[in-house]
Amino acid sequence: MSDESKSCSVPSTAEPTATRSTVPMWIIVVTLLLLFLGFVFFDRHSGWFDSKVYAPYASAEQLDNAQPKSGAAAQMAAGKKNYEMFCGACHGTDGMGKAGQAPPLAGSEIVIAKGFHRLSMIPLEGLAGQIKIKGQDWNLNMAPMGAALPDADLAAVLTYLRNSWGNKAGEVTADDVKAIRAEIKVPQAIQGDKLMAMPE
Amino acid sequence: MKSGFAVFIAVILTLGGSWAGFVVATTAQLGTAKQTTVLVTGDNWPQQRTGEATLGMQIYRANGCVACHTEQVRQEGVSYDVVLTGAGKNPSNVSNVLATLKLNDLTKEDADAAAGKITDAGGKSEAHLNATGVDIKRGWGLRHSVAADYLYDAPVQLGTLRAGPDLANVGARLTDANWHLNHLYAPGIVSGSRMPSFKFLFEVRKAGAAPSADALLNLPKEFAPADGYEVVPKPEAKQLVAYLLSLRADAPLYEAPFTPATPAKP
Repeated sequence: MSDESKSCSVPSTAEPTATRSTVPMWIIVVTLLLLFLGFVFFDRHSGWFDSKVYAPYASAEQLDNAQPKSGAAAQMAAGKKNYEMFCGACHGTDGMGKAGQAPPLAGSEIVIAKGFHRLSMIPLEGLAGQIKIKGQDWNLNMAPMGAALPDADLAAVLTYLRNSWGNKAGEVTADDVKAIRAEIKVPQAIQGDKLMAMPE
Repeated sequence: MKSGFAVFIAVILTLGGSWAGFVVATTAQLGTAKQTTVLVTGDNWPQQRTGEATLGMQIYRANGCVACHTEQVRQEGVSYDVVLTGAGKNPSNVSNVLATLKLNDLTKEDADAAAGKITDAGGKSEAHLNATGVDIKRGWGLRHSVAADYLYDAPVQLGTLRAGPDLANVGARLTDANWHLNHLYAPGIVSGSRMPSFKFLFEVRKAGAAPSADALLNLPKEFAPADGYEVVPKPEAKQLVAYLLSLRADAPLYEAPFTPATPAKP
């Protein structure tokens, strides 16, 4: 008995206690490395927790670059936005117009005509006097709502209303609007009958 | 206990850390999610479900559909197609250039390069963006699912197992309500379907002089009830089908842009 107790470094009577020992250096290094790799992963896959960014896009910038910048999609989107801001209050966001005030644009003869010269004149110059749309007389002046819009925006609006609510009439480009705008010498509201005498 | 305080701190840090990560961070990231707009058309997305479809969501939940069906589309990448939109003043020149170019399945850089060459030749082109991936190839959706898709789901039933096909886009893939009713009643009608029958959502009853308005009429002989009887869906079956038809993942969003196959052609 006595020999055994001598060979033991801790006296058998002492209660064992937990001691504070230093965390090994390799654990700290590995933890930091994992943390770093984790952040690299998030950076690659979620654009720093941006709620709009999903794989395969890695950043908000990349996602932005993937948006349709030109062509049909972008023009319709811009057209809808501007239409609802400037035209929608009277002509309705559904293009059905407002009884007694503004004629419908859905299926309107002027809107779905082959050419868009006559149509473009209305927002550029305004309209006064009587006009007949879909067999009904309309008689309320319209201000030149589109005169202040840039060519590209007005072209988008015209494209939008020529291709929404069942209309299928074709594209209007910014160059088209520019050319029509250049024709106007003295801006003044067109009379309805004069408008109908213009080429389509 | 000598290190009680240290244990207390460690517990606070562990629980607090996971709470911050799983609750606070996700709420900060997605808690303010609102309806977004569809690219091109500008329509609102997602649309609130009809009352019938909302009830159907609970039928879907109650019958454990989520055990075998997922509602999430995965996407692996994107590819670009270059589409000629105008030949310009010198069509033969453009067609010569086109013959030398690869126009489909391109990276963004290659698509830009191809578009540049077409512009140099005097033509006009548009780049079309497509989502790619196994799910998309199967027709299960046109893009990956995003958080906005689940805005009106309570609970969100993403699912984890695909014993059956993914249903995220089923309302756009299979638009016929009668097909769904027939399939729920007798999955054997559809070849390859391994779904169990949901006969208890239907009622087999004696037919009157004329069949009921919503009786299943086109059941094949081996699934049809006895003569003089008809199969009528209970309200639950109709609600479930309304829910299935409300599931769509086919609108291009800011988060998941792609060029629709048939764009509103201006």
